[in-house]
Amino acid sequence: MIGAIARKELVVLRRDGRVIALLSLLGALVLLALLTAWTTHVEHEQQVRQAQAEDSAAFERQGNKPSHSAAHFGRMAYKPPAPLAVFDPGVSPYLGQVIWLEAHRQDPAMFRPAEDAPELGRLADLSVAGVLTSLLPLLIFVMGYGAFAAERERGTLRQVMTAGVRQGAVFAGKLLAVAGMGVCVVSVVLTVATAAAVIVGEGHSAVDTIARGTGELIGYAAYACACAGVALLVSAVARTATSALLILLTVWAAGVVVVPRVAASAGQGLHRTPDANTFWSSTSDAIRAARPKRGSDALRDVERQVVSRAIGRELSSDEAMPASLNRAALGQEISEVLGAQVYAETYAALYATYDRQRDTRRVAAILSPTIALSHWSAALAGTDLAAHRHFTLAAEQQRQQLLRRINEDMMVNGAGQGYDYLAAAGFWRTVPDFAYSSPPVSFAVRAARIDLLLLLAWTGLVVAAAWHVARRQTAI
Amino acid sequence: MLKAQNLGRRFGDAWALRDLDLHVAPGEIQCLLGANGAGKTTTMNLFLGFLEPSCGVALVDGKEVARDPHAARAQLAYVPEQVSLYPTLSGLENLAYFTQLAGKSGSDPQRLEMLLDRVELPRSAVRLRVERYSKGMRQKVGLAIALAKDARALLLDEPLSGLDPHAANEFCALLRKLAGAGVAVLMATHDLFRAREIASRIGIMRSGRLLDNLVNDGISSSELERIYLDRMRDSAVA
Repeated sequence: MIGAIARKELVVLRRDGRVIALLSLLGALVLLALLTAWTTHVEHEQQVRQAQAEDSAAFERQGNKPSHSAAHFGRMAYKPPAPLAVFDPGVSPYLGQVIWLEAHRQDPAMFRPAEDAPELGRLADLSVAGVLTSLLPLLIFVMGYGAFAAERERGTLRQVMTAGVRQGAVFAGKLLAVAGMGVCVVSVVLTVATAAAVIVGEGHSAVDTIARGTGELIGYAAYACACAGVALLVSAVARTATSALLILLTVWAAGVVVVPRVAASAGQGLHRTPDANTFWSSTSDAIRAARPKRGSDALRDVERQVVSRAIGRELSSDEAMPASLNRAALGQEISEVLGAQVYAETYAALYATYDRQRDTRRVAAILSPTIALSHWSAALAGTDLAAHRHFTLAAEQQRQQLLRRINEDMMVNGAGQGYDYLAAAGFWRTVPDFAYSSPPVSFAVRAARIDLLLLLAWTGLVVAAAWHVARRQTAI
Repeated sequence: MLKAQNLGRRFGDAWALRDLDLHVAPGEIQCLLGANGAGKTTTMNLFLGFLEPSCGVALVDGKEVARDPHAARAQLAYVPEQVSLYPTLSGLENLAYFTQLAGKSGSDPQRLEMLLDRVELPRSAVRLRVERYSKGMRQKVGLAIALAKDARALLLDEPLSGLDPHAANEFCALLRKLAGAGVAVLMATHDLFRAREIASRIGIMRSGRLLDNLVNDGISSSELERIYLDRMRDSAVA
């Protein structure tokens, strides 16, 4: 019975020119977005590879050079593009992909949070995820607005109920058709996008990419079901098909455009991101404040810790500092250790602000599942803020390791030479390159599990509400 | 098979139907005559369970419709004045769909085509989209849907409206055959002459009341017309 109703719905939809036109538009936009993303991704990956090679060669070719100059010369940490960025670039275009690893300072890739890009902004960027997030609800609303309202107006609902069908079965059949169509669209798009991601994701685990694609499919399928639930609910409540369509268009504009935009602004307004000047001046103040006084026990402890690491053995508390150490390098390394602690705290505070902004958006996700989907989608694609932070932490570790190697070499081999010490030409080759491994899918799921739960809750509640209303409606 | 006991329905302060007592046994054709607003369609809706009675009960095969409309509808087939079909499906597809919904095999196109032949839908129209059908053609598909259900009772609300005389004649012949096979038929109509031709009993309704329920034992057309007009004149005077 339910199958017969669903099949009939699909035949009617197939013969509806509006649905075919909208499907064709969505297909064309997805294809265009995917091709654009593919080209950009391939170019980006080539540029990263080339830049990494050039950076590595330049670092190794430094020859005999003052160590501290080399520390300021630094190195670059390039963020490899996530394979599923071909599907959802998330916030990565707004955050930058390169971090300069230099002495004394943990540079950000960029400060400005871009996760609050409104959905139409994402559509203008023409990402596959943006097209799906924005146009899938529209497609489903066009397919579902007449499900009950048009049948009631035409009289066919009465005919159907006279045949002896229960309202519950009618609802289930219609939901199966409308949501099923949405899930089919999502499945096709995500299968193609995941296949593309596996192909372009050289060096990335194909299993991980497929697992991420499956996670995306779960999220977008839930989104399609939620949209179908909304369409059927409105169709069951509205007096006429025209009013159902108008209500659904309003819901679309509010849910896809207005609420995400307002939520992003509210997040930013309630939890302000510091501007660059404020951030750097407060960080400099914190570094100065955190530096222990000359001759203090705290400074002596750090000094002992730094020296122990440099000479490769633990310095006992009553043991005097070895005389054969470059004091300038020791001072530099102490500054690095103390600075790193402050940077860890200030960046943690900055990311905590981003997290609070995200939490505000999550509260708004009660009004629009689009927000929860955007978070989940970017997380699974590895293009959200959590993934970016994972990269920045890895880059910072590399920076600390790089500077420690340079400073320790200077400390141990440059006794009495101060800043005039020249590192050997072969030394640079002993410093390992930055090898970044993006986090596994489990990291993404942990980061966005609340968003998935919100999405599933939305789907469950709206489908239950639609079922409740549809079961109680009359045919006349 | 179809029974109304003190059946009534009120919309606000106005009674659309009141104190209806009616019994249509298997094999009988009960016609209801009356002007618009007489309560004919309300009676149909009460038997179909689309309206809940304000008083009394409607029974189908002994089951109270208001308590279990689903069970009642399973015993009924219904042909409205305006048969509602899916415009982008063909007549055959519409028939197959509603037959499936009624729990009958909808996958046998030969049987379905035979049903459409039986209601004299032109063969050339069987696979055309219903949006291209005339009203008469839609009525025929509606009747085929009712026939396909093999229901024990048939409710018809102005089914002859829009049919040409030949089709109406065929339609009535078909109804007689169905009644002969034991189907209880309740038909609302404006057509006195067709009612006299096929009905076992003819009810005359006015302002929600069944004023007369005449046994059709050879009543002449002119006599029926006189009774009907008298009743309607009373209504106009009232």
